[in-house]
Amino acid sequence: MRADAKHFRPNRRNFLALGAATAAAPMLGACDGGGSPSLESLTFWDMVWGTGAPYTEVAETIAAEYDPGDLHPVQYQSIPWANWYQTFTSAVASGTGPAVSTGASFQPFFFLEQGTVAPADGAIDLLEADGKADFLPGILDAMNTDQGYAGIPWGLDLRVFWYRESILQDAGLEPPTTWPELLEVGKQLREIDVVGLGLAAGSDTTDAQKTIVSLMISNGGGLFNENAEPDVTSEANIETLEFVLELVREGIIDPRSVSYNSDNLDSDWGSGRVGMGFHQTGLDRVLSGEAAEDVRVASPLVSPNGLTGSLYYINAIMLYTDTPDTASGEQFAAWYAAQTDKFWTDGVMIDLPVTERVAALPEITENPNVVKSIEEWQPVGKTIAAQSPQAFGALNSVDGGRAMASFVQRVVQGESEALPLLETLQADIEELMG
Amino acid sequence: MTMTVRTTNATRRALTFTALAAPALVLMAVVNAYPVFYAAVQSVHQGNLIQQGPFVGLENYGTVLTDPDFWNAARFTAIFTVAGVLGSWVVGYALGLVFRRYFVGRAALKVLLLLPWIVPVVVTTMSWNWLVATSSSPLPVLFEAVGLEDVLFLADPTLAAVIVCLFKIWISFPFMFVMMSAALEGIDPTVYEAATLDGAGRWTVLTAITLPLTARSVYISWVLMSMFTINDFPTIFLLTGGGPVDATTTLVVLAYDRVFQAFQPGTGVAIAFVMTAALIAISLALFRSIRRVH
Repeated sequence: MRADAKHFRPNRRNFLALGAATAAAPMLGACDGGGSPSLESLTFWDMVWGTGAPYTEVAETIAAEYDPGDLHPVQYQSIPWANWYQTFTSAVASGTGPAVSTGASFQPFFFLEQGTVAPADGAIDLLEADGKADFLPGILDAMNTDQGYAGIPWGLDLRVFWYRESILQDAGLEPPTTWPELLEVGKQLREIDVVGLGLAAGSDTTDAQKTIVSLMISNGGGLFNENAEPDVTSEANIETLEFVLELVREGIIDPRSVSYNSDNLDSDWGSGRVGMGFHQTGLDRVLSGEAAEDVRVASPLVSPNGLTGSLYYINAIMLYTDTPDTASGEQFAAWYAAQTDKFWTDGVMIDLPVTERVAALPEITENPNVVKSIEEWQPVGKTIAAQSPQAFGALNSVDGGRAMASFVQRVVQGESEALPLLETLQADIEELMG
Repeated sequence: MTMTVRTTNATRRALTFTALAAPALVLMAVVNAYPVFYAAVQSVHQGNLIQQGPFVGLENYGTVLTDPDFWNAARFTAIFTVAGVLGSWVVGYALGLVFRRYFVGRAALKVLLLLPWIVPVVVTTMSWNWLVATSSSPLPVLFEAVGLEDVLFLADPTLAAVIVCLFKIWISFPFMFVMMSAALEGIDPTVYEAATLDGAGRWTVLTAITLPLTARSVYISWVLMSMFTINDFPTIFLLTGGGPVDATTTLVVLAYDRVFQAFQPGTGVAIAFVMTAALIAISLALFRSIRRVH
């Protein structure tokens, strides 16, 4: 014992040697060429969609049921939306990113242009071979780029026009079917202190941006031309913005909404302060109690150009170039996309499905608001790239950026005429796109 | 001989200490210096967060300094900082003076007054949003009741700026209160007794004794609060997001926007560096004042 104590007596030299050994151990370990005999797991990053925690629970269960066969297994990881861009870019830049992920609507287009995401054509071929590529009209086309499909669509955030049925009935009004009717019904609602076009234009929400772009698309306009160049000052957009400014002047749009966040807007929908407005398809799931039962989806409003339309965002599954095995990623992505039906059967998804088979499920057909959204609004919907036939990476910074936020806030404040406002937005988008 | 042995021992000891401290020093250098160096590199490139992009020299700084958005944000940052620092200091100092005297419930009230500082800013911004944002919020309802209709607290650019500054004062005054209370405690009571005997009034005591004797603490608290306020991101971002129409955008919010919303890290980081330079200049000026007081 005594001898042992002498042998291990701590001194400066021993201490330094021990420190060096401790530091060297992990490095030596890393040099070990042995490795595990099993295949390396692919990482699948999934954002927190739909109902939040219940959604994630279902998603994790689905991923756990995946049988890779001879290919690489998959490890599920839930990723919060907060700072999603930083999370993905820093991970990708440091080589620690996922092999497969869900993400923001234009993320796959941006990452595809950067060479970080690979075309999903192989996975879509697998879906087609499995008879599961029964996408709703235009959905798959919207994912197409010159390099191939940017991702596999699996969910749809669609803007539709809602109204509070009881409020309109009590006022003896019918839901509007055209823009002039929207103006007239809005004036009648203003008389009873109800907002005719509810929106939230605060800097931390894209709600008002989506409403105005929906109206632009509905009138045959949009932020871009067919060559994907900014085309904000088109005749169709000027006409749209003049209409919106008239709604502002008539008090049909609440001036307070310039600072509203989405919670403020939903609160006004719930309290009956808002009677009509564009919102995502799941408004009846967002609201509670009487209001949830009272909101109805109207038919698409016919614009002065005789057109209808709206804005949608496609949620996609994307495959990354930095992957242990491309074939394994494609197999998992195709398999997972086919399993996403469960999100709607389990009621954990607020967005719309993107396939005919899910649209035909009783969970969908039992809700008249969802049926109307799919039958009437989805076919006339376009992405924020409209009128460009293809989405592109720069939309990542246009959508939800400061340029759009300032634009809609100026509109809601009614501080200028249509053309100067659109010219400013045009210049801002051109600057963003470099 | 003894001298040589002592020198050898001293050298060995120094080497040992250096070796022992080296991991921590390297870690600190990596943690602190590397991000700054990396950011500096980004500010002279035109890329995104994935790819560095081409070298553009000082072009990003030129872009920033000729951007009206930058000067608009700089102007509001100055207003926000002056209002936040002076407003919270006035309230904190006044409370410090009041709380020097004993009264029933003083300790409990002191704790209550610290709440705005203790409660997470996410919670306090939500409560202020609830208080003023919609037409059915308590404050608009109250204003309407007294005949002031359609007061757009967060929707009007001027009022939104006022609300943001008031909010900053509200969450910051407890810090000043604590700092100033400590400074006031440090004043020798006999100084006041002597002043009273000499017939000095309350105003004279405040301006000729209390303020000069606490000046050092005041300047230090101003330096600290200036740094907190200029770098304050959550207050603005959570309450107004920098709106309406950029009326409450500060430099730190603008830098965030450029990096993470416009995906232009070069200009965003350039804004941050310009901001840092301004902050260092302000701190130096205030520290010079502290030295003069000392």
